[in-house]
Amino acid sequence: MSRRTFIEMIGFSAAALALEGCRAPEQKIIPYLKQPVELTPGVANWYASTCGGCSAACGVLVKVRDGRPIKLEGNPEHPLSRGGLCPVAHGMIFELYDSDRLRQPLIAGKAATWDEADGQIAQKLAAIRQSGGGVRLLTKTIQSPTSLDTIAKFVSQFKDGKHVVYEAFSTGAISQSHLRTHGIAAIPSHRFDRAKLVVSFGADFLGSWLSPVEFTRAYTRARELRDGQRDIPQHVQFESRMSLTGGNAGRRIKVSAAEEIQSLLLLARLVAEKTRAAAPTALASFEPSLLSREIRLAVEGLAARVARLPGESLIVSGSNDVDVQSIVNFINQSVGGYGKTVDLNSTRTGSANSDAEMVDLVRDMNDGKIAALVTLGVNPAYDYHAAPAFIGAMAKVPLKISLNPYRDETGSLCDYSCPTHHFLEAWDDAQPARGVFSLNQPTISPLFQTRAYQESLLRWSGGQRSFYDVIRASWKEKLFPLQTSHKTFDEFWDHSLEDGVFAVDPPPVATVRFTADSLADSAARLELRSKSLSGGVVVTLYEKAAIHDGAHANNPWLHELPDPVTKITWDNYACVSPGLARKLRLEEGRVIQLTAGAATLELPVHVQPGQHDDCIAVAVGYGRTKAGKAGTGVGVNAFPLVSFYDGAFSYVTGGAAIERTSMRVEMASTQLHATLDGRPLIKEFTLAEYTSGGKAEHESEPKSIWKDYPYGDHKWGMAVDLNACTGCSACILSCQAENNVPVVGKDEVRRQREMHWIRLDRYYQGGEDDPTTAYQPVMCNQCDNASCESVCPVLATVHSSEGLNMQVYNRCVGTRYCANNCPYKVRRFNWFENRHDDPVANLALNPDVTVRTRGVMEKCTFCVQRIEEVKIKARNEGRAIRDGEIEPACQQSCPAKAITFGDLADQRSKVYRLKHDRRDYILLEDLNLRPSISYLARVRNVEEA
Amino acid sequence: MSLRTAKIISLLVTVTGAVALWQGATFTSLGSQQGYQPAQPIDFSHKVHAGDNQIACLYCHSAAERSKVAGIPAASTCMNCHTQILKDSPEIQKITRALASNTPIEWVRIHRLPDHAAFDHSRHVSAGIKCQQCHGPVETMERVQQFDTLSMGMCVTCHRTHRAVTLDENGKPVITSEATPKRLMASTDCSVCHH
Repeated sequence: MSRRTFIEMIGFSAAALALEGCRAPEQKIIPYLKQPVELTPGVANWYASTCGGCSAACGVLVKVRDGRPIKLEGNPEHPLSRGGLCPVAHGMIFELYDSDRLRQPLIAGKAATWDEADGQIAQKLAAIRQSGGGVRLLTKTIQSPTSLDTIAKFVSQFKDGKHVVYEAFSTGAISQSHLRTHGIAAIPSHRFDRAKLVVSFGADFLGSWLSPVEFTRAYTRARELRDGQRDIPQHVQFESRMSLTGGNAGRRIKVSAAEEIQSLLLLARLVAEKTRAAAPTALASFEPSLLSREIRLAVEGLAARVARLPGESLIVSGSNDVDVQSIVNFINQSVGGYGKTVDLNSTRTGSANSDAEMVDLVRDMNDGKIAALVTLGVNPAYDYHAAPAFIGAMAKVPLKISLNPYRDETGSLCDYSCPTHHFLEAWDDAQPARGVFSLNQPTISPLFQTRAYQESLLRWSGGQRSFYDVIRASWKEKLFPLQTSHKTFDEFWDHSLEDGVFAVDPPPVATVRFTADSLADSAARLELRSKSLSGGVVVTLYEKAAIHDGAHANNPWLHELPDPVTKITWDNYACVSPGLARKLRLEEGRVIQLTAGAATLELPVHVQPGQHDDCIAVAVGYGRTKAGKAGTGVGVNAFPLVSFYDGAFSYVTGGAAIERTSMRVEMASTQLHATLDGRPLIKEFTLAEYTSGGKAEHESEPKSIWKDYPYGDHKWGMAVDLNACTGCSACILSCQAENNVPVVGKDEVRRQREMHWIRLDRYYQGGEDDPTTAYQPVMCNQCDNASCESVCPVLATVHSSEGLNMQVYNRCVGTRYCANNCPYKVRRFNWFENRHDDPVANLALNPDVTVRTRGVMEKCTFCVQRIEEVKIKARNEGRAIRDGEIEPACQQSCPAKAITFGDLADQRSKVYRLKHDRRDYILLEDLNLRPSISYLARVRNVEEA
Repeated sequence: MSLRTAKIISLLVTVTGAVALWQGATFTSLGSQQGYQPAQPIDFSHKVHAGDNQIACLYCHSAAERSKVAGIPAASTCMNCHTQILKDSPEIQKITRALASNTPIEWVRIHRLPDHAAFDHSRHVSAGIKCQQCHGPVETMERVQQFDTLSMGMCVTCHRTHRAVTLDENGKPVITSEATPKRLMASTDCSVCHH
């Protein structure tokens, strides 16, 4: 016997033995000792709660499977967010299971117990109480009335105790301006649903400004096209960078930062003339020296229209300049907006921040007046405009306590880290607008040895009560008497907890009176400022829809979400206009040195169509140095470009210098071709075309070599309304959370291997200097004549009896023929084994969806697990499925309600009706694939005022 | 040995080996756990409970009516009876101790589907499928073992042959093998189980 045969025989017998021994490893089932009554293994429980992702405090429903939250969905009962959510909210599930969160308190960076930390902190605070030193509690905007009470109680123990609110990307100028013009420091509610004309000066209210979900819902609700509707509200956007909101505007007027200010002043002057409002002379005599004839005419037209629509127009500005906001208030006041489109009665409550207080705090710290600094949710060592000055001042504070859940840039400078819970582990309440109260309930026991910050503050204030008891007591005292439908408090509490929200008409605030006293100075200062900003390149900082100010930067879901406008992931960059790029010989990915004010940044260039030549836009929130595994070292920190001007942080800096370097980098973009080039992928009507009976064209039915499928009771279909879709990208992350879609990282995205099941295409139409923008979500179209099905050699993608194009992972061998043959390019291939070796992160996986392995193709399934779940439920109950009962993840939390899923076999279903709407069209219809998804053409109100 | 001879010999060895080891189930039930009968931490007898004493399956496995999974009863469910019956037996004492010391009982899992297969108990139970159809005569087993292969073939055979469940005049589901209304047919779409 040769060596070779011997090895063969040995090998064969080993294989035979291995087959015999092919037993799965022993697995345990561990049932409860005493099973909670509300819990059935394998069945999800839903709890109403409040999102803690940002200060907008939207209502959420938390899906809890076997004791762990796995998905956030919008709470349709919530009067502000109305069932919508933004990308950040979906990312919060990832953050809950982030193993980079602190797992216990730290003393001087070393693990400690709560007793040790409490003992030492109590002792030190007691000494400060004796000595009378300054104590500052530095937080983000807090919307919770009960938490604010707890904070007030904590700081009141000290002779010099104070709560300072700091927002890195501040909107404090809005409340400061109202203090000047209306005598009340508050941010009003903006009612986009009531406005027939919205004029926005650079406010990205659909993307990141104040409360984007609420605004998107209101904005799209006012633009819903019902039968016979003759008018849709108009939206005019003045801006220098290209924002998500600008892309949705009926009319977008490209202006430089200087022209933006002058346009606003001119509008104010003209509106004052038309409405005979008393305007100070500085405004009445304002001459727009910088405005072109075109812009001037546009503003004049707008002024006439605004004046014709008393109480039905809304002017907003995204600037954090108190003067700008004061002029905005003046216009809204002159056209009767207050009480109608601008509501000072249901103000955003929370703790209105004043940027000046933060600057004062750093000065006091430097002067040695502060004995203790407690930080919560803020990270000034990273995002303060003069971060080195803050870090220097920290060294002079004897007692520094961080309540942040991470040991971040600021936390690592603190003596004590007392990590607070994730909001899904804690009790809290919120009042996002006066009269709207919502509750936040824990949906999982704390994963780590963390403690709610309120509990920490209560303990350090000498209290013994739990924060839960405090909230209950507070609701009993303050809210229970405001209603009559519940007799006992317990009943009221249970009901509020179940709904997640309790709303009352807010009692009127003390009469606010408008005063124009400060406006003369404002107008004069603004005219000077506009002149100082003119003639050079201005750097405009902005927040991205997912990353915001960088607080959630350790979240790979948020990093990998393509920016709605630029479609670039995992990076920030300098957006420059095509004109400026030509002038300076810059191309996509060219690294430049950008100097503005005292800071110099090295950033890659993104050539952004539609941007003004005098503008460079840079996103903040990147360049974290101590964020964690995913967030550290992504992008460049742009906060050093912030300046402090007239009592507020300014995100606009003039006199920028650009130096081209020899370096070039490749950014990770998910869309490389931005124009339609005459292809009918997006269909749009003007309002005039639509009202005169416009109809989207259909191809004449081509001859087919395929036979029609005989469908049974169901034929699932979807309609995507492009008139509603704003491109906010929340659907992408909702789908990612629901379907266990992996994150692949920057390098793989560069190779076009991103895994998102929804691709949100963004197209520019018209010239690159001033294009209109259109958004289009594309997911698997579930075609009847599917081109993927006919090429799969192993029948891993086949047609279901209900019209679904099924992808069977366990059959797939990874030939990728299907992806190559799909004209919509919506199939995703697992090039690598996506690691699932973090036991904490794995808790976020949806147990109803298979985790795919390497070499397997995947794509949108219409959330077939949800279809099956509802089908089983309906059959168990012996009834038919109700229209709208099945909601795929993308549809559920779409703040614009752009997606409708349903049964095309049911002629009474909403999706059937939409499919027969005259705006209905099919993507790539000439290929005769007969997709189950159809799109509804967009109608744009492009009227020139 | 020439290369040619080596090839012939290795082919022969492979074929004879395969034939010799081919005992039907070796390959068809690759990875099957049929007959798996592990020892459990408590000597629980299904024969005594479900057979001799006629306790309904759903009394303990109540989740099967409402959930994907049938569920293993909580220790407290056992004590509904065993605070009175046989409370001194050493096996019952194990449960008493578990409850007293707050340590849950770790049963060894027998019936197990791969992660890419989704099976819903509630649909099958409310369609009137007897538990024994898949789990075998559990009421005769002292120690439970996996009765069937729980393979895809087993599911699909049933979905194809029974085809249908109808509701009788009382609204109770009845399995029939005749032509039945299409909407009540058991589906064989891949996505019914694989998603």
